[in-house]
Amino acid sequence: MDEFQEILQDFLVESFELIEQLDQDLVELENTPEDLELLNGIFRVAHTVKGASSFLNFDVLTHLTHHMEDVLNKARHGELILVPDIMDVVLESIDLMKALLETIRDTSADAGVDVADCVIKLDAITKGQVPESIESPVVVEEVLVEPEPELDYNSMDDAAVEDEIQRLLSERQAQDKAKRKAKIDAGETVLAAPSIKKEPSVEPDYDNMDDNEIEAEIQRLLNDRQNEDKAKRKAKIDAGETVLVAPSIVEEVVVTPAPKPTPESLPTPKPTPVVVKKKEEEQAAAPTKRAPAAVEQTIRVDVKRLDHLMNLIGELVLAKNRLIKINDDVEERYEGEEFLEELNQVVSIVSLVTTDLQIAVMKTRMLPIGKVFNKFPRMIRDLSRELKKNIELEISGEETELDKSIVEEIGDPLVHIIRNSCDHGIETPDIRAGQGKNEAGTICLKAYNEGNQIVIQIDDDGKGLDATMLKEKSLEKGIITDKEADNMSNKEAFSLIFKPGFSTAAAVTSVSGRGVGMDVVKTNIEKLNGIIDMDSEVGVGTSMKLKIPLTLAIIQALLVGVQEEYYAIPLASVLETVRISKEEIYTVEGRSVMRLREEVLSLVHIGDIFEVERILDSAEYAYVVVLGLGTSKLGLIVDTLVGQEEIVIKSLGDYLKGIEGIAGATIRGDGGVTLIVDVVALMQMARDVKSTAMISETVGESSSNTKDKASDYTVMIVDDSKTDRTIMIKALDPLGVTLVEATDGQEALNILKAGDYNFDGMLIDIEMPRMDGYTLAGEIKKYNKYKNLPLIAVTSRTGKSDRMRGVESGMVEYITKPYSADYLASVVQRNINLKSEFLS
Amino acid sequence: MSDQLKSIINKQSDQQNAINGNIDDVVQLVGFIIGDEEYAVPILSIQEIIKPFSWTRVPQVPKYVLGVFNLRGAVIPLLDLRAKFGLETKKHSDETRFIVMRDGDDVAGFVIDRLTMAIRLRKKDIGPPPDTTKGSDTIIEGVGKQEDKIITILKVPKLLERDF
Repeated sequence: MDEFQEILQDFLVESFELIEQLDQDLVELENTPEDLELLNGIFRVAHTVKGASSFLNFDVLTHLTHHMEDVLNKARHGELILVPDIMDVVLESIDLMKALLETIRDTSADAGVDVADCVIKLDAITKGQVPESIESPVVVEEVLVEPEPELDYNSMDDAAVEDEIQRLLSERQAQDKAKRKAKIDAGETVLAAPSIKKEPSVEPDYDNMDDNEIEAEIQRLLNDRQNEDKAKRKAKIDAGETVLVAPSIVEEVVVTPAPKPTPESLPTPKPTPVVVKKKEEEQAAAPTKRAPAAVEQTIRVDVKRLDHLMNLIGELVLAKNRLIKINDDVEERYEGEEFLEELNQVVSIVSLVTTDLQIAVMKTRMLPIGKVFNKFPRMIRDLSRELKKNIELEISGEETELDKSIVEEIGDPLVHIIRNSCDHGIETPDIRAGQGKNEAGTICLKAYNEGNQIVIQIDDDGKGLDATMLKEKSLEKGIITDKEADNMSNKEAFSLIFKPGFSTAAAVTSVSGRGVGMDVVKTNIEKLNGIIDMDSEVGVGTSMKLKIPLTLAIIQALLVGVQEEYYAIPLASVLETVRISKEEIYTVEGRSVMRLREEVLSLVHIGDIFEVERILDSAEYAYVVVLGLGTSKLGLIVDTLVGQEEIVIKSLGDYLKGIEGIAGATIRGDGGVTLIVDVVALMQMARDVKSTAMISETVGESSSNTKDKASDYTVMIVDDSKTDRTIMIKALDPLGVTLVEATDGQEALNILKAGDYNFDGMLIDIEMPRMDGYTLAGEIKKYNKYKNLPLIAVTSRTGKSDRMRGVESGMVEYITKPYSADYLASVVQRNINLKSEFLS
Repeated sequence: MSDQLKSIINKQSDQQNAINGNIDDVVQLVGFIIGDEEYAVPILSIQEIIKPFSWTRVPQVPKYVLGVFNLRGAVIPLLDLRAKFGLETKKHSDETRFIVMRDGDDVAGFVIDRLTMAIRLRKKDIGPPPDTTKGSDTIIEGVGKQEDKIITILKVPKLLERDF
């Protein structure tokens, strides 16, 4: 059973790969119906899938592919020309094949998909009918006329012709078959020599390679089968061709068998560069054969393992950041020590290797974007037929690589954009002709690298976007206000199409215009940390650029500080940072703005967005981080700029997901968690934030609380000596105020920050371990809330310079030890405004 | 050596089973105090119990969500059960602990006032939650009866459910 599963897995992977290529080939084939190489390639895919599925007992799939094979075989022999209507059926059958394969993948059985209709259509084509088509008589005629013109029937009416044709066809087919059979018999005997010669030379080669294979048995069986089939097919081709009259095709095919035996009978199994192209393609189309050769170069790895590896690398990057930080600390503390150099070396090696490792693992997850692009030729073909437009698709840069997770996510947005271009962008042929444009519209799909971003560009030469029309439409639908419309630049107007509920299509078609789509595109792209840049000119076309980061897991970020918190802003959306003084901030219509060179930039304080409590007084200068997202810009005011760092994005988990303005979290070098700003959401939020951009100076004073009795007053005593504290407590006891003790500056600061008490005053010793009195006073004065908190120095230092320092650091009184109890009490009473009526 | 060890371990577990009778009938819980009440959660839903350390505030969440903290490389939400139960927030003391609970993929840390002990309760000693709190919405799994007191057993999946 397991073995079967394994075979099944391989079969599925292989089949999906084959089919992906198939879509593209088929569309190409429609343009160049005589391309025999393409036809052969497609035929082989159908054949390979048929062979494997019959081996695995998937009867429905076998049944379907068998009939596909018949049609393709006919086309291959030139008995059938693949006009669009036939192509529709073939494509339909391929869709069914996909559906079947998907069912097999999910349920390990191929039941549940109805192929009967399609098989009937395919059969009809094989018999020479073109289902429900106007062009059908022509096609059949072609087939008929070429070998033996029977023009009389043309004078009959359509239905009669149809009947007659059918009758003739079946008759003819029977004849043909008989003829061909005879020829095959003949052909086979002729070909017997090369085919026998070929087989022994090929067989041992496969045996050699089979040693490398895990499922040698199945491989060999499949190969055998293919060889057999190939021999037969070849005989058929050779025989069939002679029947054909069309000289051009005969020429092409007749030539091929000649060189073919040469490469195949070569003793070396690997394809030499001189091998005819046909052979190469054959190998590509039949990976059962290709697999043994590729074994040495590639292995299939479960994506989960790669994801795990990526996670581990993430951890390593975090550890590296920590190591660098520790190294810096150590460097500072042990300056000049010998071991430092060694440590430095180790740290830099570790960080270097980690970076390389990260890049290497990232590369293993990279996939060419062609994987996504592949499905578009087919889509464009279907759409242009459906919309009765003439659209050509040009693809370039499909080899550009992107992270797997992004490749998976980018497909849907691209489908929407391209559908949109087809439906709204490209005009119908007659309009185009009327405007003097080429009747066929062109959509260019390009991918290329730009810095550490990938740009996917979609250009069309359609009617372009009309900014005025867009504005009117949005006004009508209430998406924007009059004022907004007036102030809107063209680029901003273009981005209106991404608004939810916006659709420019006058009528809802099956292709687009249901009002969903473009806003989904925007959300999806933004989810990938990407941005959309649009440009358009009426009558000339529209160009859309999707800029997407190479990878999702690790990004460069700018770390900013606000009060005591830190936030990480993805560097991709940071345009620049500027330092401004408070005077440079203006208020316009209740919003803070600043002049940045020639532009007016609206400002928002990060603290207003993330509800940061303003405890610390703001400095004279503020820093503005200019965020850019497509066409919109915003200045984000922060207190400090910490620097640029490589961060690993971690999810906040299910419990906290979807918090507006937060994209995730990262772990910093010190082990703390820093939140990552979601720039897109932040820009949205900024619109709703009322202007408080600059710090309001009035923060409630601690003494504003009502005091009814002496014990409502609280004073902190900070001294490292127990004796001194006891003396102070004794001295203040008559006042009846509440006293809190701290043994050093650090502890005092912690008590203060904890906010359990509202202090009315502090008695501070100067000489203390951990944090001395001056530093403590300095720290306390940083807090806006404690600006007016009276700090009283109680010290044995009596020098004038000491007093000066005390005043500088924000002390209001300076009491020298020893002091009288009454003096201390009166100084405290005065400074905390203790009303005398509370004194008992 | 390892055989010896194994036999010792086996013997120990045999003894334990003998004491507790059928292991299926016993529920192991960890008890803790929030405010004045004793609560408990099943021991198997506890990933670890750690001493408090610093966390990062997260904006736009209810007051009982303190923020997130770093648990060996994973970012985990931290919730204050005092605030969640409508009690006044209290400064963390030496006895304060973070209990990291897990239910499937959902993990969160909970701040509790103090741990009591690991409790073994027979299933028959656990009653249903009081009628007033019944319904699918209740956070109470059941009420455990001990000789001298009762313990509220909390529903961990419910605790880990986002309710804002």
